[in-house]
Amino acid sequence: MTRRAPINKKAKPRKTERVERPGDGRWRICAVAVLFGLVWLALWGRAGYVQLVQGEWLADLARRQHLAAEFERGERGDILDRNGRQLARTVRFNSIYVRPVEVENRDAVARSLAEGLRKSASEMRASLNSGRNFVWAARAVDDRAAHEIAEQKLKGVYLTHEYGRLYPNNHLAGQLLGFTDLDGKGIEGVERSRDGVLAGGKAEFVVQRDAAGRRLYLDAEGREMDIDGRDVTLTIDAHIQDLAEAALARAVEHHNGRAGTCLVVDVPTGEILALANFPFFNPNVYRKQPVDVMRNRAAMDIFEPGSTLKPFLIAAALQEKRVKPESRYFCENGKWKFKNHVINDDIHSYGWLNVTEILRYSSNIGTAKIGLDMGAQAYSGYLARLGFGERTGLNLPGEGRGLLRPPREWRDMDVAAISFGQGIGVTALQLAKAYLCLANDGIAKPLRLFLDEKAPDEPGQRVFDASVARSVREMMIEVVHKDGTGVKARIDGMLVGGKTGTAQKALPGGGYGKNYLSSFVGFFPGDKPRYLILAMVDDPSRAFYGSTVALPVVREVALGALAYTCQLPVKDAGVVEQAKAAPAVPAQVQTAAAVSGSHAVVAKAGQAEPVAEADRVPDVRGLPLRKAIEILARQGVVPKLEGRGAVVQRQSPSAGDPWPGQAQPFTLWLKGYAES
Amino acid sequence: MSREMKANLQGVDWWLLAAGLLLAAAGLIMVLSASGIMAEKFYGTKYHFFHRQALFCGIGLLAMIACASLPRPVLYGGTYLWLLLVLVLFAATAFSPLGVSVNGARRWLRLGFFSLQPLEPAKVALVLYLAYFFAGKQDKVRSFAIGFVPPFAVTGLLCVLLLAQPDFGGAAMLCALLFLMCLAGGTRFVYLFATFGIAACGAVMLVLHSPYRFKRFLAFLDPFKEAASSGYQLVQSLYAFGSGRVLGVGLGAGRQKLFFLPEAHNDFLMAVVGEETGFLGVSLIILLIGILLWRAFTIALKQDDLRDRFTAYGLALILGLGCLFNLAVVLGTVPPKGVPMPFMSYGGSQVIISFVCLGLLLNLSRRAGLRVAGGSAVGAAAPVGAAA
Repeated sequence: MTRRAPINKKAKPRKTERVERPGDGRWRICAVAVLFGLVWLALWGRAGYVQLVQGEWLADLARRQHLAAEFERGERGDILDRNGRQLARTVRFNSIYVRPVEVENRDAVARSLAEGLRKSASEMRASLNSGRNFVWAARAVDDRAAHEIAEQKLKGVYLTHEYGRLYPNNHLAGQLLGFTDLDGKGIEGVERSRDGVLAGGKAEFVVQRDAAGRRLYLDAEGREMDIDGRDVTLTIDAHIQDLAEAALARAVEHHNGRAGTCLVVDVPTGEILALANFPFFNPNVYRKQPVDVMRNRAAMDIFEPGSTLKPFLIAAALQEKRVKPESRYFCENGKWKFKNHVINDDIHSYGWLNVTEILRYSSNIGTAKIGLDMGAQAYSGYLARLGFGERTGLNLPGEGRGLLRPPREWRDMDVAAISFGQGIGVTALQLAKAYLCLANDGIAKPLRLFLDEKAPDEPGQRVFDASVARSVREMMIEVVHKDGTGVKARIDGMLVGGKTGTAQKALPGGGYGKNYLSSFVGFFPGDKPRYLILAMVDDPSRAFYGSTVALPVVREVALGALAYTCQLPVKDAGVVEQAKAAPAVPAQVQTAAAVSGSHAVVAKAGQAEPVAEADRVPDVRGLPLRKAIEILARQGVVPKLEGRGAVVQRQSPSAGDPWPGQAQPFTLWLKGYAES
Repeated sequence: MSREMKANLQGVDWWLLAAGLLLAAAGLIMVLSASGIMAEKFYGTKYHFFHRQALFCGIGLLAMIACASLPRPVLYGGTYLWLLLVLVLFAATAFSPLGVSVNGARRWLRLGFFSLQPLEPAKVALVLYLAYFFAGKQDKVRSFAIGFVPPFAVTGLLCVLLLAQPDFGGAAMLCALLFLMCLAGGTRFVYLFATFGIAACGAVMLVLHSPYRFKRFLAFLDPFKEAASSGYQLVQSLYAFGSGRVLGVGLGAGRQKLFFLPEAHNDFLMAVVGEETGFLGVSLIILLIGILLWRAFTIALKQDDLRDRFTAYGLALILGLGCLFNLAVVLGTVPPKGVPMPFMSYGGSQVIISFVCLGLLLNLSRRAGLRVAGGSAVGAAAPVGAAA
């Protein structure tokens, strides 16, 4: 240091002398330091400017790229029948749209789109050149086509998903199910009344995303959210519904009626197994059908029930102890002048009839007299307790209240008319509910349509004594099994109770015209009802009596339903085939099903599975093809099919033979059609 | 012993030390915040970069202590050796299989667990060399052949090696060092400005020739025009700063690091600081940088020995240029170049070399404080004597 310093000190002045600038660089270093200081200050200022002045603007821009305001819709729940069959479900389909502005070569894109979507290239070109910003190339495209289009990565062509509602069974229970609009909102039917349950939640959440667009869930938000709609399970049995619809359609079409309704109710539970309306409504294509067809007539249409109301009058009179089944009334030989009106009995005219016979022959005059004996106050009380004049509580959209005027407004003629079912407005559901009370030994029970709703705990209100209900049911059995109006409803081996109805339809201007509403209500079996089946045909033209128009519907449905649930008496097997129901069931299966009380367990099989020894070929003759294949497939055998049909007629190798080897064929010969 | 230690510590520039350590500490925290999510995604642990950075800081601290207490002959003795070593490193990066190519640039030398960027030691080696040169050749510095050619040739060689990687930013950094060193060292302005004029022209030509550089250059003028492509980094950086506002969104709560900001834990760490701690945090860092520069330049000015002064000056330039250049880049005032923030950004070479610079400055500050007492400085005269 000591040596060095002088040298330096010497060197510097020397340099200073020799050169213009001082060589120790101090002032230059100072200058650079100052320069650095200035830059440093400027950058500090710049930071302040960016963060404080531009901050708000930049922060807003940043927020836009960080946050994706997203909303996600949960999937709408399915509507299921009581066995879990899908009546309505949500499907996701692909749709392809084009933003023509972004398309570079419209001709080429139009060509490849047309090819992939199997559409005409010229139309595609035209729509691309239509000048619009957004063009649907195709909606509801199948996965393969969508994938192929996506693979091509055409510029300006986009693939998106849309959700739609599919009703796999088309018109089955169409009016009951209703439909949803394009946004998945229930507009009609169960879709509407249970929209709150079915509808998927809409979750709106702001998610943070990273540069790759991935959503980052920093907490549970979104990920664990359960926003899917819940399924709704109806009490409807799709099979019975189908039976009811088929029978109803046949009857309405055969009699050239305007419309029809058929209800099947499981008596012990009050569950509606079928609710059919005709003409059919297919909710898949709801926009293409007339509005009238969408109506759930069973719930919405109010009509005068006619004779089908009479059992309630008789029950009320019995309960009030005004009459006994043996009480006799003079039926005026078919024509009774009463207070400026004439009351007629249809077809036949009667003299003296007892109460049982009045119901059996459905005498208007007889019922009018019973009604007058009882009086408006008492009678209307029973009607109200049976549920007339108020909604059934099923919450179906547009359900009618019916029309039950307060008794103080009833004049004597009204009492008489209401006794035989005129001057009162009811819905098919109300009528079914009232009959359910009779079938249930006089206890009013609510109808049920939703299996997933808890059944009411408390027993319903007692309207009639059990003995009264029983004796009315006995009268209804006589309607069928004696020479009453319902003889055609008989089923061999089973007591059937029933009541016909042939109501003249009121004209809009008052009075009654030549239009009728034919109806029939049946109890199966009649003594201890399991099923209550109600059918109505509006405005039949070839015949109009309930016994000829509506009764066959009820019987057909009853046979089908009984066969399906294995409760059909064996004797009547021949009739079943005729009714195109499932093949007759062997006795042991029937009892098994009856014991278990199950609707569905054995039903699909229709026949007991043959007891097969594992190493021997089973006997599959007479089985439905599906069942036979199921059995064979379990052994790894794929049979060869000969002929057409759904039932196995013959088989080779025959039963009891050893299983054939791999090369040998297993052949089934088919014939006939079986209800699947 | 304690007296000796006291003597050793006397003259240590505590401000400088504190600023450096605080910057490194802040950097450590911000590296954790900026890299956590990315590290978890790619390495399975949030702390991957944090642990490594902490390790680098530890090594850096040791290096700093070593540099601060090293006797001057050891420091100054190997000027050419350091240069040679750096050249070997460059050659190894370019030609040996140890060189690692990332994004088309071969800038790293893989050395087991850690990659070395030869640019960082090259800065120190260059500064040591230039300080030695200008201190020793003060009388001939204005001549062309002796005063001008050697430093330019050495720097030029290093720049060519850097451009071959290619590392335009690194080359520019070395040129800036040379320019500022020449400025202080007394090179003729005519030579200086003529050369740098030519170099600038060359740079412009280079920029114009390479569409990638040209795009990046233009992008900085209006980053939002090309926000999705060439202006992307800058826009993202500005978004980060803007989102921070005054107080920031909170440590760790920044969103720009979610893969929006490329190299969030690295060159654009300051953007994360800006977003998470706001203008307040940025000001704190800028203040620390200010203290660092103030003390570094003060130490340089305090040196009586020309070589010491130029060395200190050069070291101040390394840190100062790094800090200001990095700030300028992240704030969008110069074309984006990969320049890390000294002490703070993730990267072993950078952290260790920053600590080395800090250590050398502390060494020099200590000498300046011990001006009279100096015992071990005897040998230091040798190079000067040789030069004289």
